[in-house]
Amino acid sequence: MSKTVLICDDAIFMRTMVGDILTQAGFEVVGEAETGVQAVEKYKHLRPDLVTMDIVMPDMGGIDAVREITKHDPQARILMCSAMGQQALVVEAIQAGAKDFVVKPFQPSRVLEAVTRVLAA
Amino acid sequence: MDTARYAALFQAEAREHLAELDTALLALEDEGRRGPDGVSTAAQVATLFRGMHTIKGMAGSMGYEAIERLAHALESRCEPLRSGDEALHADLLALLFEGTDVLRGAIDDVARGVATAPAAIAGILVRLRRPVLETPSAETLALPDTTATSSESARVRPSAPADAVNVRHVDIRLTADCPLKGVRAMLVLAKLAPLGQIRGTHPAQTRWQDEAFDGAFRVTVVSDVTDDMLEQAARSAGDVAKVQVRVPALASQVAERLATTGVPEATRTVRIDARRLDTLLDLVGELVLTRDRLLRRIEALDHPDRDVYRAARDAARLVSALQDEVLQSRLLPVGQVFDRFPRLVRDVSRELGKDVAFVMEGREIELDRSLLDAIGDPILHLLRNALDHGIEDVATREAAGKPPRGELVLRAARDRATIVIQVQDDGRGIDRHGVLLRAREHGLVPDDCDGLDDETLLRIIAHPGFSTARRVTSLSGRGVGVDVVNTRVRALGGQLELESIEGVGTVVTLRLPMTLAITRALVVEVAGSTFALPAAHVEEALEYHESLRVHHAARPSVTIHDAVVPLVALGERFGLVRSSTYDASRDAEGRDQHIAVVESGGRRVALLVDALVAQQDIVVKPLDVVRGAAPWFSGATVLGDGSPALIIDVPSIV
Repeated sequence: MSKTVLICDDAIFMRTMVGDILTQAGFEVVGEAETGVQAVEKYKHLRPDLVTMDIVMPDMGGIDAVREITKHDPQARILMCSAMGQQALVVEAIQAGAKDFVVKPFQPSRVLEAVTRVLAA
Repeated sequence: MDTARYAALFQAEAREHLAELDTALLALEDEGRRGPDGVSTAAQVATLFRGMHTIKGMAGSMGYEAIERLAHALESRCEPLRSGDEALHADLLALLFEGTDVLRGAIDDVARGVATAPAAIAGILVRLRRPVLETPSAETLALPDTTATSSESARVRPSAPADAVNVRHVDIRLTADCPLKGVRAMLVLAKLAPLGQIRGTHPAQTRWQDEAFDGAFRVTVVSDVTDDMLEQAARSAGDVAKVQVRVPALASQVAERLATTGVPEATRTVRIDARRLDTLLDLVGELVLTRDRLLRRIEALDHPDRDVYRAARDAARLVSALQDEVLQSRLLPVGQVFDRFPRLVRDVSRELGKDVAFVMEGREIELDRSLLDAIGDPILHLLRNALDHGIEDVATREAAGKPPRGELVLRAARDRATIVIQVQDDGRGIDRHGVLLRAREHGLVPDDCDGLDDETLLRIIAHPGFSTARRVTSLSGRGVGVDVVNTRVRALGGQLELESIEGVGTVVTLRLPMTLAITRALVVEVAGSTFALPAAHVEEALEYHESLRVHHAARPSVTIHDAVVPLVALGERFGLVRSSTYDASRDAEGRDQHIAVVESGGRRVALLVDALVAQQDIVVKPLDVVRGAAPWFSGATVLGDGSPALIIDVPSIV
C-alpha cells in the first residue's frame, strides 16, 4: 500500500509540483491545504503518513500548523518546504516538531531523499 | 609554607567538588529539559559557584596555576548566572561541562605528577572569558525533546568516570551543496541526542546560523553505543558528506587507566583517617612480633606437634602478607611532595634574578606517607639553598665559562632498603676555605686542620651555631637551614650526605628508610644488653678473629676483604665496659666475639659485638628522650621474645 501525503502550500504551482514529484515516486496524495488552519483540520481528518508544509501561508503560518499538528499527534511526520533566506523560520519549525526540510527551488531527488528520511525515522 | 601534606588532601577534596559540580550540571541540564524550577536552579548554580570557588582557593594555595586559572574562569563565567543577569542556556551548560572536564584533567595531571600544558587549557579559557554578547533564550537553543528515550537516558546516565570513557567526538562535514547548513546541523544533533548525552558542539550551536558556518562541526557526546551507531545516526539526518567518530585524547587516557586498574578512579581510593592507618600498622607490628615469638617457641620444642607447627607456619605466612599489604597501603609516590616544587623553584629563581632549569626525576618512587609528610620541608630548604647560594647569576656563570642557565635536579631513587633523595645543582659549590676558617674560629676543627673532606664539611655546616654565624658573614656556599635539615632527616632514621666541588656544583643526598615503622634489623648483644642494627646499614656479619686486626694502624682497625676498616667496640662506645676488648677474640665469659660491618654515607665501620642474635623485623618506636641524652640511638623496639632493645643509629657511630 502506497504512503499517503498531505500537501500544504498556498501556491497552486508548488502544490502541483510537489504532488507530481511524490506521485511519480509512488505516493498517494490524499489531500491539499492552502492555509495553516486547513492543514491542521485536514491532518486530523486524513491522518496521512506524511505532510509537506510551506512556511508562509495565510491565516495560520506553517510553523503554527506544525505546532498544532504535533500537539494533536506527536508522531506526525512533517517535512518543511522553505524558500532560501528562511533559515530562522526553519529552525523554529524544526523545534516545533518538523522532522526535516527541503529548500525551494525543489530538486525532485532532494525532495524524495528528505521524504524517505522522514518516513524512515 | 608546608603545603606538601596538603597535596593528598587537595586531591581528595577537589575530586569531591568535581563530583558535586557534575551533579549540579546534570541537574541543571535535566531542568533544562523538564522546564526550569527557579528555586532548584538557584541552588544548583550556588553549588557550581561554591565548588569552583573552593577549588580555585585550594589550587592557589598549592601553587597549581593551571587549575587556579581554570577554576577562576569557570567561577567568573557562573557569576552572571548567580546574579540573574543571564539565563542558563544549552551552550553555556555545554561550556561549563567542558570546562569542568578540562579542570578534572588538570587535577588528574597534578596527581600523576604531570604539568598541565598551557595549550590544554588555553582554548577553554578563551571561551569562558568571551564576553556575553547576548543572552539567547533557552527556548531557541533547546533541542526538540522529540522522544521519550532522550530524557530517559538522561536520567540513567552513567556515572562520571564511565562518562569519561564513553565520550566521543563526532566530527561531521555536511555536503557542499547542502542548503541551510545550520539547520541541517541541528537535525544531525537531534539524531545524535537520543543515543546519549550531548556534551557540547564546536562551533557552538549559536554560530550554526552564521553565514560563516561551513557545515563542518563537532558534536561531543557521552554515549555507550558503538561508533558505527553514532555515525549512522549522524548520517541519517541527510546531506552528511563525512562522519568521523573518535575518542578524545583525555578520555582514552582515562579508559586506559581504567583498563589497567579494572576499577573506576572514583572507587579506587578512599579517604581513611591517617590515625587508622597508623593504628593498623602498630597492630600489624605487634602481630609480627608475636608471630616471631610463637615460631621461636615452637621451634624450640623437642617434639613439636606437626599440625600445630604447620598451622603456626601458615599463620606466620599470612601475617607476613598482611604486613606487606599494610606497608603498601601506606606508600605514596614522592611526586605528591615534588609537585609543588617546580612552581617554587620558578618563583624563587625569578626573585633572585637567576635562570634555572629545574629537573625532577623518580617521582614515581614510593615512600611511607609519614615520611612523605616529613620530607617536604627539608627538600624545600635544600632547593632554596641551591638557588640562593649554589647557582650563580647569568653574568657570573658566563664569566666562569659555564652555560648561562643553571641546572637544579631533584631526584628520587631506590637503593637497597633505602630511598635516596638528591638535590643537585651545577652552581659554585661550597667555599671550603671560607668554611674552614670559620670552623677553626668556632673550634669545630683542630687548628692544624688544613683541608675539609665532604663529611667534615657537612658536619660543620650542619652544626647548629655555624649556620647562624655564617649568615652574618657573606661567605658563599650554603648553610642556612642545613642543621635543620640534618636534624629532621636524622629524626626520620635517615642520613644526610654531601658532595661539593668548587666551581662545579653540589649534591646533597637524603637517605631515608622506605618505611618508618617496621624495619629489618640485625639483633646483637653487647655486654649483656640487646641492640638492633638496622639492616639497611649492615653489610656483613662475621666472627671476629685476632688475625683480622691491623696492628700498625693509628686507630683500631680490621681487614675486611683486603680493605682496612675502623673497628669500634660498641660496649666501650656505649660506656657499658670500661676497657677495650680489641685484643681478645673472646668476651668476658669466653664466648667468641663478632663483627658487624656497617656502612653509612660511604664510610664503613666494623662494630665489635659479643654475639649476633638474629635477623628480624622490628617495630620502631620513637625514643621520647632528649636527643643529646641518647646520641647513639634512633629508637627502641620490643624483640620477638618480648624484651626491649635500643635501635642503634649507625650514622652517628661511623
